[in-house]
Amino acid sequence: MQQGSKVERRTVLKAAGASLAVAGLGATATACGGDSGSGDGTVTIRYSWWGAEDRAQRINKTIALFEKKYPKIKVKTDFQPYTDFWKKFNTQASGGNPPDVFQNAIGFLRKYDAKNVLLDLGAQVEAGNLSMDGFRAGLEKFGEIDGKLLGVPVGSNSMALVIDKPVYTRAGIKPEQGWTWDDFHEAMTRVRDRTGRAGDSGMYGVMYLYDLYLRQNGKAFFTEDGLGFSEADLTAWWSKAERDVKSGLFADPKKVAQIKPKSALSAELAGSEYTWDNFTVRYTSEGKSEYGLAPIPTTDGKRTGQYLGSLMLSAYKRTRHPKEVAQFIDFMVHDPEVAEIMGYDRGVPTTQAQYDAYRPADPVNKAIAAYEQSLVDAGVLEEITPHPNGADICEAAFLRIAEEMALGERSVEDAVKQFFTESKTALVG
Amino acid sequence: MGSAVTHAPVREGLAEGSSPRHGPVKSPRSAELKRRGRRENLAGYLFMSPWIAGFLLLTAGPMVASLYFAFTDYNLFDAPKWIGLDNFSEMFGDPRWRHSVQVTLWYVVVGTPIKLIAALGVALLLAQKRRGQAFYRAAFYAPSLIGASVSVAVVWKAIFSDDAAVDRTQQFFGIDAGGWTGDPDLIIYSLVALTVWQFGAPMVIFLAGLKQVPRELYEAADVDGASRLRQFWNITLPMISPVLFFNVLLETIHSFQIFSSAYIVGGGAGGNACGPADGSMVYTCYLYVQGFENSRMGLASAMAWMLLVAVALVTAVLFWSQKRWVHYEEGGR
Repeated sequence: MQQGSKVERRTVLKAAGASLAVAGLGATATACGGDSGSGDGTVTIRYSWWGAEDRAQRINKTIALFEKKYPKIKVKTDFQPYTDFWKKFNTQASGGNPPDVFQNAIGFLRKYDAKNVLLDLGAQVEAGNLSMDGFRAGLEKFGEIDGKLLGVPVGSNSMALVIDKPVYTRAGIKPEQGWTWDDFHEAMTRVRDRTGRAGDSGMYGVMYLYDLYLRQNGKAFFTEDGLGFSEADLTAWWSKAERDVKSGLFADPKKVAQIKPKSALSAELAGSEYTWDNFTVRYTSEGKSEYGLAPIPTTDGKRTGQYLGSLMLSAYKRTRHPKEVAQFIDFMVHDPEVAEIMGYDRGVPTTQAQYDAYRPADPVNKAIAAYEQSLVDAGVLEEITPHPNGADICEAAFLRIAEEMALGERSVEDAVKQFFTESKTALVG
Repeated sequence: MGSAVTHAPVREGLAEGSSPRHGPVKSPRSAELKRRGRRENLAGYLFMSPWIAGFLLLTAGPMVASLYFAFTDYNLFDAPKWIGLDNFSEMFGDPRWRHSVQVTLWYVVVGTPIKLIAALGVALLLAQKRRGQAFYRAAFYAPSLIGASVSVAVVWKAIFSDDAAVDRTQQFFGIDAGGWTGDPDLIIYSLVALTVWQFGAPMVIFLAGLKQVPRELYEAADVDGASRLRQFWNITLPMISPVLFFNVLLETIHSFQIFSSAYIVGGGAGGNACGPADGSMVYTCYLYVQGFENSRMGLASAMAWMLLVAVALVTAVLFWSQKRWVHYEEGGR
């Protein structure tokens, strides 16, 4: 009896201990999550971005440099591919635990501003922790929305036609600034007939290219809060695409889908592809051929509708270390050594100091620099189109539905209707 | 086994143990007993408390929350806004949602039977005594041990993608169809193949069931001159029907919940997580897209509850149908 009750007491105590330990673990875990400072005044900021292994190595080098110059600030990094990045970010942000500073793009500014996630860096500029001087070609305005500085551009790029040079030479085509869509169509035909390869890899799904085409015609993909074109516009664009897929001017969509994530250009399914100019770097490492840049075709022989796009660095609104985050961003956009490490990986450096610090020696980066210079010289650059809240979802839908249309899973009419339905939902939300 | 000798002590123990934990109690003082019983219960609850806390925090809590979110417009960032049944009506009107239902049903209806047939077939082979039996059992079970993992899905994708093993084999036979994972019409077959390949778990259960079938029945059938096939239909199948029912139920529910393999195999190709042209967009994939890509957690919650209801209905139908084809010994259940 006596013994029995003793055992019981011990049992109870042990059980209590075990559950306390579990509860304690939980408490420690929460404590760790929130705290990023330590006794000696060192703070840790979390920095996340999207990209691949190659970019990771460059970024780690720049961070080592930063930590040497700012020994009181530690930077923890995290990276994913583009789509996974935003899923993880959403989850973290909704749990109140997003990274302190992160890579961002124009399509997300209004979205996350509306959700109260982005820090207005204006105050840090006033406090002198972040300088917005020395940016090229008005790029300092790029991350400004409704008077708030929501992002600082780290690299600029522009849409281009990336071409397989030997293929274009064999077809005898020399694209020049000011060529028209008719010229382009003619070129596609020649590539197909003379080299047996499709001319283009499927431009009908590239939202940013369609935006340029609309801009050339006095419209735009987005307005402040909606779509800037009609169902008839898109029907025309996709009807032509359907025709050109059938006639072999555009690469076989089935093949294009199958070789992903490789691009149709580097997989030698097509002679050219519309994309951001800094992608030439990627294609060069992916494919066997030599790649160059050609200008965007025009409607009137002059206007391309182009603007500079950019990757940015943004900060989390409720970060506990706004000052350190601002210093970090400042370092990343101004320090010349950073430019030497990053090269044109995220586009051409946005500040004059960094632009001057990195002079590309290899033909690919040289070509990108020359292309961007040619845009400045030709004077075709315009103001960027607004990107409303929900723009990112519209882009994903545009790409997906265009692919379904090209694969013959949807009629053009059906595809257009579906895109407008989905966009309406996305842009309201 | 089953002799009277083994039964006796068991029965004895049971008779003695009407209150086995209290030992020989001579004069039952009920207050004392009650107190001790309470203390024991307390100990029990304390030992269980990590699990109970986990259940409340990680299962029950989120479920209640998601039931609430199902009736709200919730974008993960702003406070949820009550919108009643709007999520449900939007769901039914969404062609992409209907497509995901179709894909999932197809996957369940085609994949589950093939998987069970494979499991039963191999179980029948492995039930016979032969050399290296243990090795074969382990070998066939292995895929389902590792099968749920992401790495297998990644390997699967590599095998079935363009210009990989499957594609090259096809080319060898003169079929130039390209890889399966990049083809909106074929990708779902690669998912079915993946689930069929993981038949180990139902196979083990079938094996256990087959071991329970009394030898005498077969001996009697042999005497009567019944063929192997007839023995299978008239003895094996009815005798293992409870096990078969269990497997059908479990695998059907599993199939409805397919996610990670579809997500991994479908992702990358096409940029979205649901395969080229939504070819492998099973229900949970679309749920994930709505919740985490489109930030529509309210709609995603509504979809999750819809899935729960659908699975519950299918389970109910299966339970109802078992009266017709599941045979339990001794008539009752």
